[in-house]
Amino acid sequence: MTAVIEAEGLVRSFGPHRAVDQLDLHVGRGEIFGLLGPNGAGKTTTIRMLTTLLAPQAGVARVCGFDVMRQPGEVRRRIGHVMQLVAWRGLLTGRECVEIEASLYHIPRPRVRKRAEEVLDLVGMLPHADRLWTEYSGGMKKRLDLACGLLNYPEALILDEPSLGLDVQSRHGVWEYIRSLQQEGVTVLIATNYLDEADRLCNRLTIIDHGRAVVTGAPSDLKRSVGGDVVQVMTDAPQRLRAAVEGQPWAKSIIEPDDGQLHIYVEDASVALPALMQLGVERDARMERVTYSQPTLDDVFLMHTGRELRDQEAVA
Amino acid sequence: MTVEQDVRAQTFARPAEMRVETAAGLQWAQEVLALTRRWYLLLIRERLNLVFSIAQPAIWLVFFGSGVDRAIDASAIGTDDYIAFMLPGIIAFTIVGGGVAGAMPLLWDKEQGYLDKMMSMPIARSSIIVSRFVFQVCLGSAQTIAVVLVAVIMGVRIESGVLGVLAILVAGGLLALAVTSVFVGLAYWVPGHGTFFAITGFITLPLLFMSNAFVPLDTMPGWMEVVARVNPLTYAIGAMRTLVLDGWEMSVLGAIAVLALAAILCLAAGADQFRRKTADRV
Repeated sequence: MTAVIEAEGLVRSFGPHRAVDQLDLHVGRGEIFGLLGPNGAGKTTTIRMLTTLLAPQAGVARVCGFDVMRQPGEVRRRIGHVMQLVAWRGLLTGRECVEIEASLYHIPRPRVRKRAEEVLDLVGMLPHADRLWTEYSGGMKKRLDLACGLLNYPEALILDEPSLGLDVQSRHGVWEYIRSLQQEGVTVLIATNYLDEADRLCNRLTIIDHGRAVVTGAPSDLKRSVGGDVVQVMTDAPQRLRAAVEGQPWAKSIIEPDDGQLHIYVEDASVALPALMQLGVERDARMERVTYSQPTLDDVFLMHTGRELRDQEAVA
Repeated sequence: MTVEQDVRAQTFARPAEMRVETAAGLQWAQEVLALTRRWYLLLIRERLNLVFSIAQPAIWLVFFGSGVDRAIDASAIGTDDYIAFMLPGIIAFTIVGGGVAGAMPLLWDKEQGYLDKMMSMPIARSSIIVSRFVFQVCLGSAQTIAVVLVAVIMGVRIESGVLGVLAILVAGGLLALAVTSVFVGLAYWVPGHGTFFAITGFITLPLLFMSNAFVPLDTMPGWMEVVARVNPLTYAIGAMRTLVLDGWEMSVLGAIAVLALAAILCLAAGADQFRRKTADRV
C-alpha cells in the first residue's frame, strides 16, 4: 500500500504544552483514515502541520510524496483542506466564493465557471449558488467548504471535524459525500471526536490522546481486540466484586472508569453473566444493574487511556 | 458510460491542460485578479458603506469648507478660496479613512480563518496583500476624482489643469499606498480587532491635525511644524495644494519624491508585519 500521507515522530509544542508528541501516521492511497480523539488531543495541530500551516518542531511529514517543510507548494497543490471552522466569506454569493477559489487554484480561466458548478453540484449546492453566503445555514456553509476542498482535483482531502455542529441529516449527507470521494480514488483524512463517525466511515483510524497515537487499526479489529462483549455492572461494592472477577477464566480485563460502574470485557456474555451473578451472591456484592453490549470505539479508547471519550464530548 | 458516470468522472479527473503548471507569473496574475475581484465584491455589496465613504468628503467640503471660508484670514493661507485650500486636506483625510477601512477585510480574514484557508492554497502569499494595495490605490483614486469633481462644481479652479489632476491622483495613490501599508501592518500586528480600532481611532485625527491639511506650516507653533514635516501627509497635501492653487512648480516633484520614499518605507514595514504573522507556518 503506497502511503499518501505519512508522518514520523511529529512534534509540536505551544510553550510548555506538547500538543503533538512523537506522532506517526501512515495513510494508504484510497483510504478513509480517521484521527479520533477528544478535543485538545492534538488533531487540529496535526492537520495544520500536514496542510503546511504550521511547521513541525521535530519529525517529518510527507503528503502526496512531498515533504511539508521542504516543498510546501507541491503539497498545497495536491491537497484539499476543509477547516474545522467555516471561514468568513462575507457578502458574496456561493458561486462567487467558489469561482474566486477556483482561480486561486489556477483553474484555467475559461474553465472556472464550469468547475465551480461541478463542485457545487456535487454537494447539492448548485440550486443555492446565487444566494448570498451570509444567508446560508450552517450546514450549507459547510457544504460550500466541502465543495471548495475539491476544486483542484486533490489526491488527498484533509477534513477537520467535517460534521461538527451539523444536524443529523446534514451529517449523513457529509458521510455519503466522503464515501463517494473514496469511490473516485481520493484519499481522505478526517479528524473527528464523534465515535459513530469514525466507526462508520473510516477504513482505519488512529486514536490520539494528549498528542500521542494510542492505537491504530480498522474499527472492527480495534473493537474485537477489546473482547466479544462488554458487561457493565452497577454495584455497591465495586472493589470486592472486581477482586472476585479478576482471574476468572471468562474475564479478559476489567476497567473501572469514573462513572461508578465496572466494565468487564469478556468473550461471550451468555457464559459470563451467570458466573458473574454467582460471584456476586457469594461475595455479597449487591448488583443494582447489569447490562452488556458489543464493544464500541469508546471501549477501545477507555481500554487504552483509562478514560471515556464520551465524557469529554459532554464537557466539550 | 452513462451520462451520470460521465459527469462524475469529469468532476474528479484533472483535465489534461491542468497537468502542466502554467508559468508562475501568470498564476500570480490570476491570483491577484481573483482576490481583487473578492475585494471589489465585498465593497459593492455594502452599498450604504460605499455611498457614505464617497459622500463624506464632499460633505466636508460643502459644510465645513463653506462655513469656515469667511472666518479664515486669507493672508495666512495665501488664498482667499479656503475651499480650494482645504481640498487637498480633504483628499488626504479621505485616504487616511480609506486606509483604516481598507485594512479591515484583512483583519477579518485573519480573525475568522479565511487567511488560514488562503495559506493552505497553492498561492504566492504576496498576492494577498498586493491585491489589497492595488484595490486600495484604485479606490483612493476614485474617491479623489469624486472630491475634485465636487470642488470644481463648487467653483474651485485647478490651476495646473487636467494633467495636474493626474498628478494629484499620483500623489493620492502614493499616500493611499503608504497609509494602507501602515494599517495593514497594524491589522496583522494586533492581537485582536479591539486593539486595532483603539489605535486607529487614536491616531487618525492627530495624524491629520499634525499636518498642513487645514492650516499652512508657517502658521503652526514651532514644535508642531517639526512634527508636521516628518508626516508623509504634509508632502502629499503640499504637492496637491501647489497643483490646485499655483499650478506646476518644481516643489511638486520634490514632495512627490519624499512621498514615494515614505510609501516604500511603509510598504516594507507592512509587508514585514505580514511576513511575521505568517512566519510560524512553513
